[in-house]
Amino acid sequence: MQNFISGIAGFFTRLKSIHPLLPWGIALVVLLPLPQFTVNNYQVYLINFICIMIILATGLNIVKGFAGQVTVGHVALYAIGAYTSAVLSTKFGMPFYVNLPVSILAAMIAGVLVGIPSFRLEGAYLALATLAFAQAVEVYIRVTNYLGAASGIGGIKAPEFFGYSLRKYDDYFYLVMPIMLAAVYASFAILRSATGRAFMAVREDPISAASMGINVRRYKLIAFVMSAFYAGLAGSLYAHMLPGYVHPNNFTVIEMVTVLLMVVLGGIGNIWGGVIGAIIVTIVADITREYYFYQLLLFGAVIVGTVLFMPKGIGGIIDRYFVNRRFIAAREETAEVKRGIVGGSPDESSG
Amino acid sequence: MKKTLTCLVVAGLLASGSSWAGEIRIGATMRMISENGQKYGQMMQDEFDAINARGGINGNTVELILLNDECKSDKGVANANKFAYQDNVHLIIGSTCSSVSLPIVDVTAQAEVPQIIPHSTNDQITKKDSAWVFRVPISARYYKGVVAKYLHDKVGDQVAYVYASDAAAMSETQGIIQQMRDVYGVEPVYEAQTQEKEIDFRSHLLKIKDLEPDAIYFGGLQEPIARFLVQSYEVGIPASVVRAASSAASNAPVPKLAGDAVQGVFFSAAYSDSDTRPIAQLFNSYVRNRYGIGGVDHDFSQAYDLIRIVEIALGNADLSLEDDDLAADRTAIRDAIANVQGYEGLASGPISFCADSTPQCRDGNRTPVLIQYIEGGEDFKVGILDRVTMPIEFGL
Repeated sequence: MQNFISGIAGFFTRLKSIHPLLPWGIALVVLLPLPQFTVNNYQVYLINFICIMIILATGLNIVKGFAGQVTVGHVALYAIGAYTSAVLSTKFGMPFYVNLPVSILAAMIAGVLVGIPSFRLEGAYLALATLAFAQAVEVYIRVTNYLGAASGIGGIKAPEFFGYSLRKYDDYFYLVMPIMLAAVYASFAILRSATGRAFMAVREDPISAASMGINVRRYKLIAFVMSAFYAGLAGSLYAHMLPGYVHPNNFTVIEMVTVLLMVVLGGIGNIWGGVIGAIIVTIVADITREYYFYQLLLFGAVIVGTVLFMPKGIGGIIDRYFVNRRFIAAREETAEVKRGIVGGSPDESSG
Repeated sequence: MKKTLTCLVVAGLLASGSSWAGEIRIGATMRMISENGQKYGQMMQDEFDAINARGGINGNTVELILLNDECKSDKGVANANKFAYQDNVHLIIGSTCSSVSLPIVDVTAQAEVPQIIPHSTNDQITKKDSAWVFRVPISARYYKGVVAKYLHDKVGDQVAYVYASDAAAMSETQGIIQQMRDVYGVEPVYEAQTQEKEIDFRSHLLKIKDLEPDAIYFGGLQEPIARFLVQSYEVGIPASVVRAASSAASNAPVPKLAGDAVQGVFFSAAYSDSDTRPIAQLFNSYVRNRYGIGGVDHDFSQAYDLIRIVEIALGNADLSLEDDDLAADRTAIRDAIANVQGYEGLASGPISFCADSTPQCRDGNRTPVLIQYIEGGEDFKVGILDRVTMPIEFGL
């Protein structure tokens, strides 16, 4: 099993050395026939939902994992993305390709509003401020008739391209899956960029970062806006998926805790961890659907347990595994070199 | 280890895609986060178990898959998708909340699975032009007409309205306000919306007290209704001001929580605990004994009526119950439900459906009963004020 994992990792490393986008292209090709391998349409629906959750969790990871900002308002940005698409589609008859960028833009503008308190607040205080924002958005939607209030907004049209509607779940998969891959790739690109390094500097020590010439406020704000981009994207994709219905009950604190769990379980700041967390949590939530009362208890216990016993999450364990493998390999290599020096032929040693 | 894993995977795949001939599969998604919500679900399970114990329907057993949607549309949609595509059910029952039933209508229409609604009242549900949806409870469009007429004719036009942020309460209350405005030319003396989980209504009630209205109307779920009634007396609104509430006032926790404050409150519902018909008396004692309920509300009766209608329809449907005939069986069940005419059970009026996908054909019951609380508490008493069969086109 270990050799298999190492083999896969090595294979992708080699592909990346040929072209950075090659592994992603292969992942896309491998995932394309996925709906054909599912047993039924419900599983395709679940895969689509997982893709949306991956985008949402990846976005949260940028602000929380990369930049270290404690936010619990991410679900409000998701709601803003979803409701912008819903309003544009149902009240103005706009098509998906217009709704998607506008929803992202709306979420990004809201992301600026959420990000501003981070200039002065940190930790629990920032969490409270963003929680208040999330609650305010939910309440505002719930009491605004134009936004469907407590009845929600239905009849959001499925995306249409050249007259072909992506109303079926397996058609929708071909939209949501490539977008998800692109979003995860972009997240890696951000992490590797100067911006990503600035985020991490801000996360580790804002004062040191500032002393090194990093504009802390600017990068905090960029992190919130980038994170909002992902939330708006996820929200719009959620709104346009069958049945094309959004309701304030889908954007509550419980949903926020669920997304948070994905990131915490996967490993805060670990992109693959967030992806794995989104997959695991969505599947576990689905399997435990019949045990509603115990589900929240389970989620809470997993968060506490992860923080106590696995602070770097599943991603941390995977990272440690690869680090250990590299360490062992390096140690063996060094030992072989030493053996070569010590046990080499007299001719070689004499020079 | 590998063998065990393989076995588990194979078993999982088989279980997820499996279906069994000779078995009618029904998926029910309901709000089961409250004590009563769980009991409605339990009653459905018990009734189908009883049908199976009697030999099933035409010799076929019924398997009920009961899931909780927590009154959340995404969970309800996931449940409906699971029923339609994974469990391959023949019929979907659900949901309790209008905000969940509304999106499920689109899922069942696309999957072509018949859906029958036990509790949701929002009038938009049957206006979606789906050929696959049927509603047992009374639509909000009928409720609002009856309440508005009673307020205007018997109480007075000076009415203050407060309503919570849930789909059914909003639909009912705004409908009544609209009805009063359009038919009687009367504007509300006070109108306010509260939060879904808000429990302190005294700021509204104090303002209402100063306006000295003829009546106060509260639209909401059961617990907020009870609190609203209690607080209306706490702020000093006299008993002479008539209290009215949305159809959720029928639910047993309202008189239990509100106690004496519930006296005189009127509401419209599909069933009255004080119904003197033998079938109603029998049903009341059955529910009281079996589920430990003091007073039986219309959500119990509607769930019961729904099961009987389903039983009739399944009995009349020509089903093969073979995997390959799932689509044909679903269509047969849909057509059999559409053929149910003049069903008389516990409901306030006969329930009839027809083939067209219009609200006229799919809102089965159009006879709301106006009910007034005589006594509150665990063993509450109610009386019937009026029973009105509404014109089929009303509110469209």
